[in-house]
Amino acid sequence: MKKIITILFLAFFIGHIQAQAKKPTLMVVPSDNWCITNGYMMQFANQGMIETIPDYKAAFQQSSDLLLVVSKLNGLMADRGFPLKNMESVIKSLNSYAAEDALRSSKAGSEVAESPVDRLKSIAKADIIMQLTWTVNQTGPKKSITFNLQGIDAYSNKQIATAAGTGAPSFSAELPVLLEESVLSYIDEFANSLQDHFDDLFENGREITIRIKRWDDWGDDLESEFGPEQEELGFIIEDWIADNTVKNRFSTTDATENMMIFEQVRIPLYYTRNGRERAMDTRRFAKGLSDYLKDTPFNIVNKLTTRGLGEATIFLGSK
Amino acid sequence: MKNKIKVSLILILIGISCSSLNAQKRFEDRADEDTANWRYEIECVGTGKQGTTLIKVWSYSKKPQVAAEQAKKNAIHGIIFKGVPQGERGCVAQPALARNANIEQEKADYFNAFFNNGGKFQKFVSLTTNGAIAAGDRIKISRKEYKIGVIVSVNKKLLRDELEAAGIIRGLSSGF
Repeated sequence: MKKIITILFLAFFIGHIQAQAKKPTLMVVPSDNWCITNGYMMQFANQGMIETIPDYKAAFQQSSDLLLVVSKLNGLMADRGFPLKNMESVIKSLNSYAAEDALRSSKAGSEVAESPVDRLKSIAKADIIMQLTWTVNQTGPKKSITFNLQGIDAYSNKQIATAAGTGAPSFSAELPVLLEESVLSYIDEFANSLQDHFDDLFENGREITIRIKRWDDWGDDLESEFGPEQEELGFIIEDWIADNTVKNRFSTTDATENMMIFEQVRIPLYYTRNGRERAMDTRRFAKGLSDYLKDTPFNIVNKLTTRGLGEATIFLGSK
Repeated sequence: MKNKIKVSLILILIGISCSSLNAQKRFEDRADEDTANWRYEIECVGTGKQGTTLIKVWSYSKKPQVAAEQAKKNAIHGIIFKGVPQGERGCVAQPALARNANIEQEKADYFNAFFNNGGKFQKFVSLTTNGAIAAGDRIKISRKEYKIGVIVSVNKKLLRDELEAAGIIRGLSSGF
């Protein structure tokens, strides 16, 4: 009898577990403008052109003001239940992973498999970048800070949150004090606009990008006709996306015989599997399209890859 | 005869103190009505230490003491429902904690208890100058009414935590 009650209780409990949407990761990144203005940059020749890129490692190693602002922002966001990824630690772990993988070998002497794409992907990333810029304004003995914090969705590249302005000028306050004041003043405004973005996400679904590409050895293309109604593959894919997005919202940014790009694709936050709700992510959503194309009547072998939480690419023709 | 005079004096004193208590209660009730009718103004003064904010609240009353005390209630009311407008340069506007415009009516039971005299609101606010009012912040706006400006410090972090725990507002990470 006890066993039956326990089983019934467990079944009831499991049935009531609610799925939760995948939590986006946030990371504070100093802007290119700040890095270059303060001399934290690297230059290299790219096909004859000198390119300047920010040197984040040097910035974190040498600027105590940057560390202070990042630490303050991390603390304030953690207070709101949203701890941030620490860019300095991410850079350090990436370097140590690379070193460890380079030295590691199996008992049979094999090395860790890593393609050039894997190497390219091992950079510090987050779903939402908190891009930080500040400038010190000086008028005679008075100093003030112009502070700009932008929340940028790493996949749609949209600015989804912002807080910017110039603080009160001061004769005596030191720079770290002015910076601390700016962070404290602007964090509420920033968190509020971030909350607007999350509210929109819960109402209209997560915004992702889906790309369709074809391998050049595939005999067909996106203009080839498939299915019982002999419809062009590009339109078949577009119809599937329309049927499976929240409120049918998406836009076809580009479409040729070789590729298609769907942006602002609003995917639901949850899906049901075996009678239980689960959190939906880009990979799972794109897997639906991948399986649809793989099945009869299309029978198109394809390969699915993802980039973080917000971007998926399906390559048609082979794995 | 002497006893009669004593008794009458005692009765008169009791009458006077009762009526003054009633008057005090009336002023407080009127001040509460003003709060509910948004009859107060908030100015940004500065950013306090982490999680706190300094604001100046202008309240109205026939009694300056009542207005000064009501400033605490008005400060919390304003931070929750109204937000703080931008002050002088460097004083940044702060959005209201409640994002739903009708939340005050929807959660009336909670807010009635919260803003009651001696209610929980007192936990999150303190007077910065021990209640002293600067000369320029005591304005007589009519024969019978004062407008009193008081600077208070509000612990927004604790207030936000309280409202989140009570299910009045959603936290940034709720839903994830």
